[in-house]
Amino acid sequence: MANEAAAAGHEDHPTGWRRYVYSTNHKDIGTMYLIFAIIAGVIGGAMSVVMRMELQSPGDGVLDGNFHLYNVLVTGHGLIMIFFMVMPAMIGGFGNWFVPLMIGAPDMAFPRMNNISFWLLPASFALLVASIFAEGPPGANGVGGGWTIYPPLSTSGQPGPAMDYAILSLHVAGISSILGAINFITTIFNMRAPGMTLHKMPLFVWSILVTVFLLLLSLPVFAGAITMLLTDRNFGTTFFDPAGGGDPILYQHLFWFFAHPEVYILILPGFGMVSQIVSTFSKKPVFGYLGMAYAMVAIGGVGFVVWAHHMYTAGLSVDTQAYFVAATMVIAVPTGVKIFSWIATMWGGSIEFKTPMLWALGFIFLFTLGGVTGVMLANAGIDRAYHDTYFVVAHFHYVLSLGAVFAIFAGWYYWFGKMFGYTYSEFIGKLHFWVTFFGVNLLFFPQHFLGMAGMPRRYVDYPDAFADWNYWSSIGSYISAFGVLIFLFGVVHALVRKQPAGNNPWGEGANTLEWTLTSPPPFHQFSDLPKIK
Amino acid sequence: MGLLKFMTQRCAALMAASAVSLGASTSAVLANQPKPWQLGFQDAATENMAMITDFNNFLLYLMTAICILVLGLMLYVMVRFNAKSNPEPSKTTHNTLVEVVWTVLPILILVVIAIPSFRLLYFQREIPQAEVTVKAVGYQWYWGYEYPDHGDFAFDSLMLNDEERGDQPRLLATDTAMVVPVDTTVRVIVTAADVLHAFAMPAFGLKMDAVPGRLNETWFKAEKTGTFYGQCSELCGIRHAFMPIRIEVVSKEQFAAWVEEAKAEYANLQSSDGMYANAAITDATR
Amino acid sequence: MRETLPPSEKKANRSVAVGAAMLAISMVGVSYAAVPLYDLFCRVTGFGGTTQVALEAPGAVSQRIVTIRFDASLNRKMPWGFKPPKHAVALPVGESGLAFYHAHNPTERRITGTATYNVSPPEAGVYFSKIDCFCFTEQVLEPGQSVDMPVSFFIDPEILTDREMDDVKTITLSYTFFEATPSARLEVPIDTQVELAPRG
Repeated sequence: MANEAAAAGHEDHPTGWRRYVYSTNHKDIGTMYLIFAIIAGVIGGAMSVVMRMELQSPGDGVLDGNFHLYNVLVTGHGLIMIFFMVMPAMIGGFGNWFVPLMIGAPDMAFPRMNNISFWLLPASFALLVASIFAEGPPGANGVGGGWTIYPPLSTSGQPGPAMDYAILSLHVAGISSILGAINFITTIFNMRAPGMTLHKMPLFVWSILVTVFLLLLSLPVFAGAITMLLTDRNFGTTFFDPAGGGDPILYQHLFWFFAHPEVYILILPGFGMVSQIVSTFSKKPVFGYLGMAYAMVAIGGVGFVVWAHHMYTAGLSVDTQAYFVAATMVIAVPTGVKIFSWIATMWGGSIEFKTPMLWALGFIFLFTLGGVTGVMLANAGIDRAYHDTYFVVAHFHYVLSLGAVFAIFAGWYYWFGKMFGYTYSEFIGKLHFWVTFFGVNLLFFPQHFLGMAGMPRRYVDYPDAFADWNYWSSIGSYISAFGVLIFLFGVVHALVRKQPAGNNPWGEGANTLEWTLTSPPPFHQFSDLPKIK
Repeated sequence: MGLLKFMTQRCAALMAASAVSLGASTSAVLANQPKPWQLGFQDAATENMAMITDFNNFLLYLMTAICILVLGLMLYVMVRFNAKSNPEPSKTTHNTLVEVVWTVLPILILVVIAIPSFRLLYFQREIPQAEVTVKAVGYQWYWGYEYPDHGDFAFDSLMLNDEERGDQPRLLATDTAMVVPVDTTVRVIVTAADVLHAFAMPAFGLKMDAVPGRLNETWFKAEKTGTFYGQCSELCGIRHAFMPIRIEVVSKEQFAAWVEEAKAEYANLQSSDGMYANAAITDATR
Repeated sequence: MRETLPPSEKKANRSVAVGAAMLAISMVGVSYAAVPLYDLFCRVTGFGGTTQVALEAPGAVSQRIVTIRFDASLNRKMPWGFKPPKHAVALPVGESGLAFYHAHNPTERRITGTATYNVSPPEAGVYFSKIDCFCFTEQVLEPGQSVDMPVSFFIDPEILTDREMDDVKTITLSYTFFEATPSARLEVPIDTQVELAPRG
């Protein structure tokens, strides 16, 4: 192939450790992001298992009465899964790997910046880990403020340096993401192959485009807010301190102005991947392509004007709450369009139930389940009963743990052969799916009941009446953790087995540009830019 | 000094716990609290919670129907259009009619949801003339209650440990309780003295953040007597899980009697100057 | 392979990247601008129960009476005593009312206090006008000193035109005293306070 011939002329790339540390190659950087996400995911997941062990039965459990450690785990689990697992996997990993391939670009627009984006992440992660061992509240180590780090608990409530480390960690992760966002925007706008118009781009590229715009607009606000926290803590400013004329509610507004788009950042690339996968395994083009693309744009846009639905009990006036109820429910419309379009894509198709398709189907149903509980929570009137209970925990794990993570696994199995050149074992992949599907549902479904009965979230111990559902939820957690072991085994198994995947293992349904290349693709691809009809 | 104030209040509150008979005598049988294997909300004790429950049931039916629809469509597609039963895929990518339908139908469903939702929201906001006002103050990690219209007495409510709690449920047991009369509109004003907390009572459909430097207001009208339990609902630090809320709803006569007892019991906390005089003496003797 | 990129494309890439970076930097600016803007927004619209400031009351304009309740809170680190001697007053709309809050410094040191305030329900903020208030400035209490601090206010007659406020018969005015943080401390005693003999 012409690509390979061209690649042969570029044997100037470094080898050994230099290939990765100095890497400017989008595929190598994507691989490093994925490895980083797996490591962070295992750490964050282990934290959640420890939490579930503590909660398995009422009274002191494995943490032996160290209540602050529980709060540290809650905080660490949230931050790690969001900033160091889902975002690096979806945007850094699959985004880096497949956005250039899908639009027919030789690489990202700014390869060196891409390298910096990645290497800021381990630094950021190291700061977060350091915070666990630094003093937080007097006499205890680590940040126990939850991922929301609301003041005053995050200012006067935890005077030790742990919070400062965590804030700096988020700053560094934020810079990494903003640099990445700039890179993706430039790549998608400027580096598309001839004929690849915006309306011909694969939906995964659309999803990344919307996502990085959300990042670019929301992350700086978060950076500003946590910088204010930092100066409130250390330099005597009073942005959020009522004693100096500040307002802790303002932090909540700023935080959720970032954090609501952030949860869409976590799920939108998943939408894109599921669209590709459903289309591939139904052997049909995506149904309602433009509707799908603009539904994501709409979700992203509306995502910026719904933030205060996280603050219904903060004392907002009723008209404000009414507005946020209405705006939030609007999001259900484009989301519904996506769900139904996926089903319509399968309708009339010739569906093959390969592992990626199983994960995608699991995603569609479980995301629907998490979505409808979201519509319930949108109503301020009943949020009185649900706010800060396990119902909310169940809701956002259905859309993120069972939504975003299912999408990540779907993408992993879908592109595994393309990225590494070897096939995975269908048996292990399907076993991984069914164990995980069973485990996470057992883990999170009972949490709906706990929340309705009134169990507040972020509780290290609970009244005895909640014991039974908590027990089963913990069992579900262990089963899900076993699923992760199957996943890791499957990866090792495939890499040891070395069964070549071929250029396109999925057949006629897989018609995006990455499938026209070898598996793995050459170090440099598309030296002769492909022409898109 | 702040600590001393806390200490003096603390001692008074503990003494009061034994003296104020209503504080601990109510049988746990009457208690409204979560039950093992509970699937839904706690039984409503106010009109507000009854409305929340009704609206929530309506939503649950609707949302279950949507989930079953999606699941049904998926199962149908998986059976009818799998590679075995439909080897030749169609190439359909557009159908304006169904696209319009699945955009408009959700909008209609949302309108159907929004109408009762707003009705409930505005019902909660309209605070009827309250006969009793109770102020709840969140501290790390206990609640303080003040009765400004009934002699302006104040006391704290702390969780009881296993040795102290008697037949009260674990983690919900408190030494003193917020006591209110039945069938009476109670205005609850909520604030916090250190970090964020949230005052919550599931059986009343009540949840309001306690924000330092800010007063929030809510209300309830309990329709049955008994003991009701709630828990702090905003992460407030190490002992977040250990600052329960107990509300005793009693008859109006019992409430009047309790107010008299409480006034006498907590009188030394009533006058701020007097209280600080005590504190100053303690300070001097230390 | 970057060398293979024509200079025109390099330039185009740079301009998109610079544009995106400017967007990100301006959003940092937005987050800082949000601090004064939020403050301004609250003051103008009464959002979150922020009260208004006025020079004088228009005088009673209707039969409508609103009960104003007074609430006092203290931050945990603030050692003062702080209470409203009178808990409520019934006030015709438009007429000015005067209330006092009693504060006492029981400690051996001079303490500067600063008060936050809001009214509840929050929708009433835009109609609650203060003419003068101890909360406009910081308060300094000498060791053992007690003061009665005044606040004069009125309910804006505009409230009569707001149908949503028809059912609001009680408005709670709340203050929380904090010990002023050292950096924000201005040490401005005000002359409107009424001196009382130190007690205790």
